[in-house]
Amino acid sequence: MKETIQLIDAQSGKHVEASIFDEITLDHFIETQANWRPIVLESARALSKDPTRATLIPRHYHWDWTRKEAELKMLALRFFGIACHGRLQGIMKVDTVARSCRLPEQQGKPLVYIDYIETAPWNIRLLMEPLGRSQEFRAVGSRLFEAAVLQSQEEGFKGRLRGQERDEIE
Amino acid sequence: MNPKRTMTLNLTDQEMVVLEELSVQKDLSKTALLRQALRLYQMVDTRMSRGDKLFFEDSDKQKAELMVL
Repeated sequence: MKETIQLIDAQSGKHVEASIFDEITLDHFIETQANWRPIVLESARALSKDPTRATLIPRHYHWDWTRKEAELKMLALRFFGIACHGRLQGIMKVDTVARSCRLPEQQGKPLVYIDYIETAPWNIRLLMEPLGRSQEFRAVGSRLFEAAVLQSQEEGFKGRLRGQERDEIE
Repeated sequence: MNPKRTMTLNLTDQEMVVLEELSVQKDLSKTALLRQALRLYQMVDTRMSRGDKLFFEDSDKQKAELMVL
């Protein structure tokens, strides 16, 4: 699956053509480690030096997508990525088996569970500000959520979706 | 949407009844339910093949290991 989508240039406000795809490979995981993680860590260090902003340090600063390589073969798990201007802009892992609905009227029914979702650091204003840089694209996370909803519909789950709740966050 | 391939599945009456009951219970088509079952089976088999164990926990937090042979 590879489809054209629109992101928003955070500076000009104009739409930018991008692609969303589900053929994620180890190379994409390596790209997040090589190109995203150093920026996330640098920003987290900058935020930690300011007591008033330390709470803004993202919980995902330590993530390592390369540890999920073995999961690429699992039917129950699907990965989605968004690319624009030749770079990975966002990535998401969803699980279609291990979790179910909690709402009383949907109790036990299957859903798409967003297990991990991450946007490239240059698309997160709060991470770019401490580094004196500007946010590049907006709507990356929204496009990934949209893909999860579409996946739920395609699976016959009628759009049912769940993400990590506060007591489940690492 | 990823392309899909078709196959014919022959079930006994009893198996079909269970499939239909689960389909209603889970609000899924029979095809979607079998797809879910395959994914779950692969996940369990992969974990057990590498030595992991599968446990069920009852309401009293008592764990019982499921032996899959």
